[in-house]
Amino acid sequence: MEAASTKTTEAQRQLAARFLDFWRVFRRNRMGLVGLAMLAVIVIVAVFAEVLAPYDATAPVDATAADVYRPPSAAHWLGTDDAGQDVFSNFIFGARVSLIVGFFAAFISVFIGGVLGIAAGFYGGRVENFLMRFTDVMLVIPDLPLMVVIVALTKPSLLNIIFVIGLLGWTTTARIVRSQTLAVKSRKFVLRARAIGAGNGHIIRHHILPLVMPILVVNAVLVVSLAILNESTLSFLGLGDPTALSWGQMLNYAFGRGAMSTGAWWALVAPGFGIVWVVLGLTLFGHGLEQVLNPRLEAHHLMKPRPIVRHEATGKPLLHERRGRVPDEAPILVEVKNLSISYISDGKPPARAVENVSFTLREGELMGLVGESGCGKTTLMLGLLRLLPAAGQIVDGEVWFSGRELTALTETEMEDVRWKGISIIFQGAMNALNPVRTVGDQIAEAIVKHNPLMKGAALEARVSELLDLVGISPEHKNHFPHQYSGGMRQRAMIAMALACNPQVVIADEPTTALDVMIQAQVLELLDSLRKKLGLSIIFVTHDLGVVAEMCDSVLVMYGGVTAEYSDVDTVYNLAKHPYTQELLKAFPDLTHPEKRLASIPGYPPRLDDLPAGCRFAPRCPVAFERCRVEAPAIHQLGEKHFASCHLVEENSLTTK
Amino acid sequence: MKRFRFLAGKLGWAAFTILFVLVLNFFLFRVLPGDPARAGVHDPRLKKDAIEAIRVRFGLDKPVINCFESLNPLKFGSCSVNPLETQFFIYVGNLFKGEMGISYHTNRPVSEILAERLWNTILLIGAGQILSIIIGVLFGLFAAWKARTSIDYGALIVSLVAWSLPTFWLGIILLFWGSNQGLPIGGKATPGLSSYPLLVQWGDIARHMFLPTLTYTIVYMGEYMLIMRSSLLDVLSEDYILTAKAKGLNTFQVLKDHALKNAMLPLVTVIAINLGFTVAGAVQIESVFSWPGLGLAIYEAVNRRDFPVLQGAFLLIAVAVILANLIAELMYSYLDPRVQTE
Amino acid sequence: MQDYFLEVQRLKKYFAAGRPGFFNRAREHVHAVDGVDLQLKRGEVIAMVGESGCGKSTLALTLMGLEEPTEGRIVFEAKEITHASEHDRKLLRQRIQMVFQDPYESLNPTQTIEEIVAEPLDVHGLTHGKAEREARVVKALEDAGLKPASTYLPRFPHQLSGGQRQRVVIAGALVLEPHLLIADEPVSMLDVSIRAEILNLLADLRQTRQISIILITHDLGTCGYFADRIAVMYLGRIVEIGPTGEVLSNPQHPYTKALLSVVPVPNPRLRRQRLILQGETPNPIHLPSGCRFHPRCPIAVERCRAEDPAYVTVGQSHLAACWEAGKQA
Repeated sequence: MEAASTKTTEAQRQLAARFLDFWRVFRRNRMGLVGLAMLAVIVIVAVFAEVLAPYDATAPVDATAADVYRPPSAAHWLGTDDAGQDVFSNFIFGARVSLIVGFFAAFISVFIGGVLGIAAGFYGGRVENFLMRFTDVMLVIPDLPLMVVIVALTKPSLLNIIFVIGLLGWTTTARIVRSQTLAVKSRKFVLRARAIGAGNGHIIRHHILPLVMPILVVNAVLVVSLAILNESTLSFLGLGDPTALSWGQMLNYAFGRGAMSTGAWWALVAPGFGIVWVVLGLTLFGHGLEQVLNPRLEAHHLMKPRPIVRHEATGKPLLHERRGRVPDEAPILVEVKNLSISYISDGKPPARAVENVSFTLREGELMGLVGESGCGKTTLMLGLLRLLPAAGQIVDGEVWFSGRELTALTETEMEDVRWKGISIIFQGAMNALNPVRTVGDQIAEAIVKHNPLMKGAALEARVSELLDLVGISPEHKNHFPHQYSGGMRQRAMIAMALACNPQVVIADEPTTALDVMIQAQVLELLDSLRKKLGLSIIFVTHDLGVVAEMCDSVLVMYGGVTAEYSDVDTVYNLAKHPYTQELLKAFPDLTHPEKRLASIPGYPPRLDDLPAGCRFAPRCPVAFERCRVEAPAIHQLGEKHFASCHLVEENSLTTK
Repeated sequence: MKRFRFLAGKLGWAAFTILFVLVLNFFLFRVLPGDPARAGVHDPRLKKDAIEAIRVRFGLDKPVINCFESLNPLKFGSCSVNPLETQFFIYVGNLFKGEMGISYHTNRPVSEILAERLWNTILLIGAGQILSIIIGVLFGLFAAWKARTSIDYGALIVSLVAWSLPTFWLGIILLFWGSNQGLPIGGKATPGLSSYPLLVQWGDIARHMFLPTLTYTIVYMGEYMLIMRSSLLDVLSEDYILTAKAKGLNTFQVLKDHALKNAMLPLVTVIAINLGFTVAGAVQIESVFSWPGLGLAIYEAVNRRDFPVLQGAFLLIAVAVILANLIAELMYSYLDPRVQTE
Repeated sequence: MQDYFLEVQRLKKYFAAGRPGFFNRAREHVHAVDGVDLQLKRGEVIAMVGESGCGKSTLALTLMGLEEPTEGRIVFEAKEITHASEHDRKLLRQRIQMVFQDPYESLNPTQTIEEIVAEPLDVHGLTHGKAEREARVVKALEDAGLKPASTYLPRFPHQLSGGQRQRVVIAGALVLEPHLLIADEPVSMLDVSIRAEILNLLADLRQTRQISIILITHDLGTCGYFADRIAVMYLGRIVEIGPTGEVLSNPQHPYTKALLSVVPVPNPRLRRQRLILQGETPNPIHLPSGCRFHPRCPIAVERCRAEDPAYVTVGQSHLAACWEAGKQA
């Protein structure tokens, strides 16, 4: 007994805490606050109608012809209506009727819709089929005419109106709740709940409802506003309860009894204003709720890029000028110097996602860019192509590509470099291909953009040739991406990347989501294409094994900075940076299956909360005092071997 | 084969829905207190032989449907009656012959009244829908593209306000304003113009249509804008938009070739689902502007308790919406390659 | 005849393909699990390896009783549980637990860590009083390596990192003190530097609590070092099974050989010839005739097209379903 009561107070406390959390976020939503305030005003007006109204609207009046449609005056702030009654008082009492109908009808609708939606979504199968078919039918039948018919055939009392609106208004709720229930049900935590032995009731109460509730609440606000609109429409059409003067009823009387012809605008404007006030209040409140409960970024790929600035990186430039460049190597295609990229968000310090990264890519070279999630490797690549998300900004550094400094180009000049000079293969080919256009069409698009003269048969032939190159039979070119298998989509993506004969291809985790065998096929393909076409490739991955098997050089990133950069043999056999060393130990090696895997304690840093000093220091097994206060410079250790660690300073070739 | 199955499924579904509406319509007007036949029978305005004619027309002397003698579901009747001799099938049969009864008010056949009014409603809804979709889509496009700028917030507020306006009230306000601007305040055409050239007549209709269409456009544009904005925001943050940009396409090309079609897809669904709601707008607008369409027919029928017209108008509107919905769904399947092949 | 802790015999799980429509009455079947035999000893760790679509996840769900088997038997702790009743099933849940692949998805974002870990106790009504409940939750969390547990209790999943979340999932399974743990790709969504500690945690649990573990994975690399045995699955069937060292050093089935050859080795000096199979796994609705692997098999002979190979014993409890197995040693 006692345990039960402590449990309820505990639950109450948690509920209160959650509400406070919610309120803290909601408070900052201007639209929602305005809506809430508008609603509060009208609810107060409706509750205290007797106190606020100057005249009793429910009492019969002995009106003479002279009292009808009197313009606003001191005695009647909003004039009088067709019966000589005070419009302002009627307006105040009308709020009560409209709100009562709105809330009660909406309650019925949301209850029915919620129960049906959850039942249909959760139980699936026949139940769902039947319920959703029924909902579909009800959704298609125009609801207002149906309401009109039913109310016209029954007694137009307030109760009837509430029930008719309530019983016909649940269809959208049922649909929305069902799809949300389906979405929640398919999530793994529901499966987990089943696995621990929970029954349907428990799962609905503890897992489905909490996640359906936010959407149901937002929808309920919308349903209330629809119910109020429907009530006013029914009343306006002459189907209102003659004994309850709602705003719609006021409009019906005014419009039907000569307010237009006498020019009595006050009798028309006031009740309409009331409806707009409540519905707008609800809409704004609902919109605000939605933004708080289902936040979305509202940022997208076509937003204006941030201007590129120089020397605003927070740290000092770290890479010393490199000496002794080998002249007999292949010519340099890409040279990145001290590139720094930050993510800017309001009210927070910038997140230094990439800081002072430098590397060179030679013709025909395959460079591996390795790091864990959130280490800035994808940001670095998007920065190269200047395709950063809206919050991303290049804050320092240079990117040289065939004699041009890319960060200095205009957006139009940059468009020419993309794909023709440097193309990119994205991680998930399913999402990177437009689902409603054929694969061939999307490949052709890239060709035409950079070579407008190519068209007709020549274009078709080129598309077929490209598909053939990656091992897809050209007859598949008129198929849509969803008709391809995962491996084929990634091949198609590669074909597309090669469409304009680029000098450099960036492959951003091209095999991450693929099965091992398909992964091997794609890697083999990339390797053979590279040899056949003399491509330079930057291969972004978290898989050290793949890098070891394919790459010439490796850049290891940690927390946005270069940890180690060298040729592949040096990195795997003579790694100097503790992170590289630890990472190699954590990687399972089939050639030594008996080896116990080492793990790096702790977690990669969050970019908005970077440690002072070396970013790896909190997890580093050999960190000492200096590492926690001073970020290490990048030291050159060999011909082409760089590491940023205080411990290698004495071996550095660079002058201080 | 797949395509045929898809088509057959959709057609079958529409047919089933229409059947449902028929049954609903039949029972509503018989179960509820305002039963048209009984009301007709009790209508003091009618003569005895007219009442008898109604009885025969509706088959009121016959059982409701096989196995049920009357509307009381507990009162079973004979199941071996000829189905064609039951009230329900007489009702359906009459409908197929295009017979929907006689208006109490005008004594004209309902089908005749509705036939001339259907086209006026289609004209109004058509013009209003096209305009509101175009304007809504354009506004939505700009708002999403310029997300989180003052253009976006402005468009958002305008749409929310437009959405909150009661249609009939906006109509009244515009009517108030229009009558001061010398615009026609009601009806579809100025009487007595029928001898004038066609162009003059059309111009006259256009002048009459201006205010109703404006009302319609304002009310529905807000919703389309909101949907377009949110749908485009989703699309524009998809990876394939980034791919398109990486290919070197400029903003205009990305919007035109990759974003617009994908973002329009959800809109088509919404338009289809919305058709039922847009009819509600037509009823209100036609009532305010006395536009002689089905909506006005409903309004007048309600106020005159002219049940045959109400029943006929409801049926016609429901069937029209179901068919329009079918067309929208077929259009969607044509636009989205994923629908038929999955 | 040895008594096994878990014994699976000829287990099959078929799913109906597509929706039954008006026009297609004859239903086709996805042969997700198609005749699996498996024995597990107490405290043993077995890795089920295969690519997506090989049926390893369906096998896991069927063993958990979350899917009803189409055919075959499952015997667990000397009791047949193939079609256990609702009541028995609920009791079984206390002894068989599961860890899911995606720690971001397998935790309810609206529950606190305490609620998540205590949920199994509440569902089974295992604790009496608040103190006992909290003590068991704390113990489970600390066993899963989240110390001190009290700092984690009031937090929500989104406030934790991926590795911490996976530990919470493991704690939620441990709190029932299961005898068998089915881990479905427990580390594939985690960063490389975190993976080892989760795997080491599982290895320690097995040491200290004698929990048997079925590890479902696509990665031979991760299972290599802590599984006692490896079972390689292809299209719903185990094609090779044996002690880890045996399978890794002396694979007999051509599919195992191919899988092993494409596991990247983190040593650039060891670049070797890879045996890459062409094409993709056929769809499990229309299985190939004979040996299900023959269309992609580099050494297929005429016989493979016609006859499904039986298991050939190639070493100490090392079996392979291939006509050519054991021929070239």
